Amino acid sequence: MKTLRKQDTRIPRRPLLWLAAALLFTLPPMFGTLPSWVPLLFLIALAAKFWMEPKGYRLRSLIWKLVLVALILSLLFFSYGSVRGMEPGVSLIVLLTSVKILEAHTAREFHIMIMVAWILCLCGFFLSQNLAIALCLLIAFTLLLAALIQFHRGLSSAFWPPVRTVGKLLAQAAPLIILLFLFFPRVNTGLRFQIAPQRGASAGFSDRLSPGSVSFLANSSEAAFRVEFPDGKIPPLSAMYWRGVVMWHGEGLEWEAPAGPAALPLTSQGPPRGEAIRQWITIEPHDARWMFALDWPVNSPSGATLAPGNYLWSNQPIRKPRRYEVISYPETPNNRLHSREREPLLQVPASISPRARALAQSWKGETAEPREVVKKALEFFHTQGFQYSFSPGEYGKNDLDEFLFHRRLGFCEHYAASFATLMRLAGIPARVVTGYLGGEYNEIGHFFLVRQADAHAWCEVWFPDSGWERVDPTAVVAPDRVNLGLNFFLERRAATGQLDKQLARWPIFGRARLGWQTLSYAWDTRVLSFDGDEQASFFASVGIAGHGPIFFIVGSLAFATALLALYAGWTHLRTRPCGNRVKIVYETFCRKAARLGAPRNPSEGPLDFSLRATRLLPNESERIRRIANTYIALRYAPAPDPIMLEQFAKEVNAFVRAS
Amino acid sequence: MRQAASSKNRFPLSPTTSFAGLLFVLVAIWYAASSQNNAASYLLLFALASVFLVSIPWTFSNLGGLQATVESVKPAFAGQEISLPVEVTNGSRATRYGIALALPDLGDAHERIDEIPAGKAARTVLRFPAAIRGEHEIGSLQLTSAYPLGFLRVLKQLPSPQRYVVYPKPAGEQRLPAETARSGQSSSRREFGEGDDFAGVRAYVRGESQRHIDWKAVARGQALMTKQFTAESDGLLYLDFAAVRPDDLEARLSQLALWVIEAERARRPYGLRLPVVEIPPSLGEPHLHRCLRALALFK
Repeated sequence: MKTLRKQDTRIPRRPLLWLAAALLFTLPPMFGTLPSWVPLLFLIALAAKFWMEPKGYRLRSLIWKLVLVALILSLLFFSYGSVRGMEPGVSLIVLLTSVKILEAHTAREFHIMIMVAWILCLCGFFLSQNLAIALCLLIAFTLLLAALIQFHRGLSSAFWPPVRTVGKLLAQAAPLIILLFLFFPRVNTGLRFQIAPQRGASAGFSDRLSPGSVSFLANSSEAAFRVEFPDGKIPPLSAMYWRGVVMWHGEGLEWEAPAGPAALPLTSQGPPRGEAIRQWITIEPHDARWMFALDWPVNSPSGATLAPGNYLWSNQPIRKPRRYEVISYPETPNNRLHSREREPLLQVPASISPRARALAQSWKGETAEPREVVKKALEFFHTQGFQYSFSPGEYGKNDLDEFLFHRRLGFCEHYAASFATLMRLAGIPARVVTGYLGGEYNEIGHFFLVRQADAHAWCEVWFPDSGWERVDPTAVVAPDRVNLGLNFFLERRAATGQLDKQLARWPIFGRARLGWQTLSYAWDTRVLSFDGDEQASFFASVGIAGHGPIFFIVGSLAFATALLALYAGWTHLRTRPCGNRVKIVYETFCRKAARLGAPRNPSEGPLDFSLRATRLLPNESERIRRIANTYIALRYAPAPDPIMLEQFAKEVNAFVRAS
Repeated sequence: MRQAASSKNRFPLSPTTSFAGLLFVLVAIWYAASSQNNAASYLLLFALASVFLVSIPWTFSNLGGLQATVESVKPAFAGQEISLPVEVTNGSRATRYGIALALPDLGDAHERIDEIPAGKAARTVLRFPAAIRGEHEIGSLQLTSAYPLGFLRVLKQLPSPQRYVVYPKPAGEQRLPAETARSGQSSSRREFGEGDDFAGVRAYVRGESQRHIDWKAVARGQALMTKQFTAESDGLLYLDFAAVRPDDLEARLSQLALWVIEAERARRPYGLRLPVVEIPPSLGEPHLHRCLRALALFK
């Protein structure tokens, strides 16, 4: 008897299918961030479950389970060297879930699997938060709800009904989600658990400029940041130099930025000149601290400082999309350069060859005017057969001569680094700036998308009369790179592009791509960057700032309860039994009749009452008779016909109005 | 009955075991989201919490308009199973899903109904062991539903006036009395099969005369039955409470129940003589049940 009962707690097949589908959708964030054998093992476990389930096999033996867990732990240890930190932790959860899949059997375990799947969704968000991943996890979330609903529906329905129910649930939950998202206090719990740095070398920028470091990025179509110009003042594409890091220390072709720059003293800033350009920048997380702004930023957003060299430096590593406002001016003249500051700006490594030194000296010998020297140097790059290429081959860090006098093939970083070194040799203070150049305009979302591929390096030299000025030797060698952007440059050179670039030539795909970018931008700016600070400014903007978190917790709970109570009342009314409604409507009729002088005796049946009422109210006799007949038909029908009921209600409504 | 009344006042919603799991997951997500300041995880937290909150009224109203009626219960012998046919009617305007029926007063009998469309009814049969001889109350029927998400359960107790009878378990070692006791008043012998007095029906056996087939029953769509008649005869089998040897009451009743069945099977007209009740000899299904019922209710 007991064992028989146990049998019907087995997981029915259909909810299991929903659960499996949901688990599949939690996988995408794991590919590419975890070692690929982790999600693969998970997939294998899922497939094995479907093979085992009809045969009644499952993982029963405790010894086997222990062996599997031990195996998993050792595999993880082997591949990470430790089981602490974020990625090993997530891998561990994924792998233990695989074992659980093999073991799960009863209805209770089904519910545990659902809980675990929610934790997997959470893990997914820890690995990546971009829009595509978020959509995947939303689908997983929906499928999990469908699995639960199907579980409680048993064998009763086909594919769509549970999905429709989930849709209704989500639609009703949506306003609540938005309210909670806006108002639920984002308290910083101080429970910060330490996470090992996510990715050692994420595709992006570096604080060193070495041959190949920028051209390495040229193939990456990942977004670096997105920019809106809220005032509508948009500089031309050729002037869109996004200032990243200033590198002061040069070693020939290799340049380096200070590891932790101090804040720029206010006194050393000259008054800005030209038109102010306001930007809203949403930066993708890169685990480092550089931030970008149009040349030259004059203010620092909160949580960042303006470092010497006028570039932005975040106080914290940027681990999630961050949105900031910054104002830039095309020029900030600063013509004071202390001799003690000037000294390091002329330093060159001793390993520079006499030939390079001679080249620089030759320009200096011809003219004492720094601008003339710069002009001559640019002329040198322009006329001596230098070529722009994003695969210039290997250069060592001391191969300045090789580049300048032999191969003459390079990417922007080669030109910037060699130019700055040459300027220093010629006695002109110079430095290298890395950042991005240009961007792609999105006409749907009205923003510029700057990709990793737009990475660029250029030079700045110091003139005694006007201070630091930008000089971009790349513009001399490959003007199209500066004027049209890297993509145009590359496309003109090689007709074969990536698939998505080819597709983008079709208008429909182009629109879809722009639409996706816009959505993705909205996700980053409206959702992901909404943190405690944003919430505080939101509260300030709606005028409820200054309350403690308790206020909001209690407030949001009270609000949610009120909403729920309203909704519950409405549901109750809506699904109230028809039979009751018939009676309620009839009672309304009786009250109305009583007001007109024909009260119904408690012992009187509807038919007797209607006969008496028609006599008492002869004007209404026709309607009274109709109401009585409909009432009897409805009251004694096994299931009242809703259309007839509506008719009945209408009739009773009309009864008072007519008299 | 008293229990049913008290549980009526109880708040109908109660958390299930997976509610604890949900709470754990919510706290875990909140902890992770707040410590990492991860907006996407916050969104997951709010989505899960909101869907749960929104599902509360769904669960709460999921039993609205449901009525359960217990149909007539067939008696069973002690030790067997009682089958309780229940009809659940959905008087509301929404389809109801995932309803569990249980008998809180009668052990852990439970049954599930997956779906009842609006205005329709669904039937199911609850089975539970018939433990003790006698007439028993069903007490109350309990409807529960955890639809749609299973974190909360709504409960509705419906008192049911229906009663059911459990016959004594047929058992015993004594043989059916071979001698037929002579009735004092009547010296005539009852001849079974042919006669004037209608005694009941039994299944038709092929080859029998078709004269006594209960054609009316056939017209009602039932199987072929033969009407049985008894004629006056000398031999009357009285199954006497006093004639049963063991002193234990239950054992005696069990023995009598066994005899009743054996006599019926042997088609020997039998009567039952208990200290208070006496049932005159007869044969047939109604008679059998009359006797067994008398044994069941014997105090």
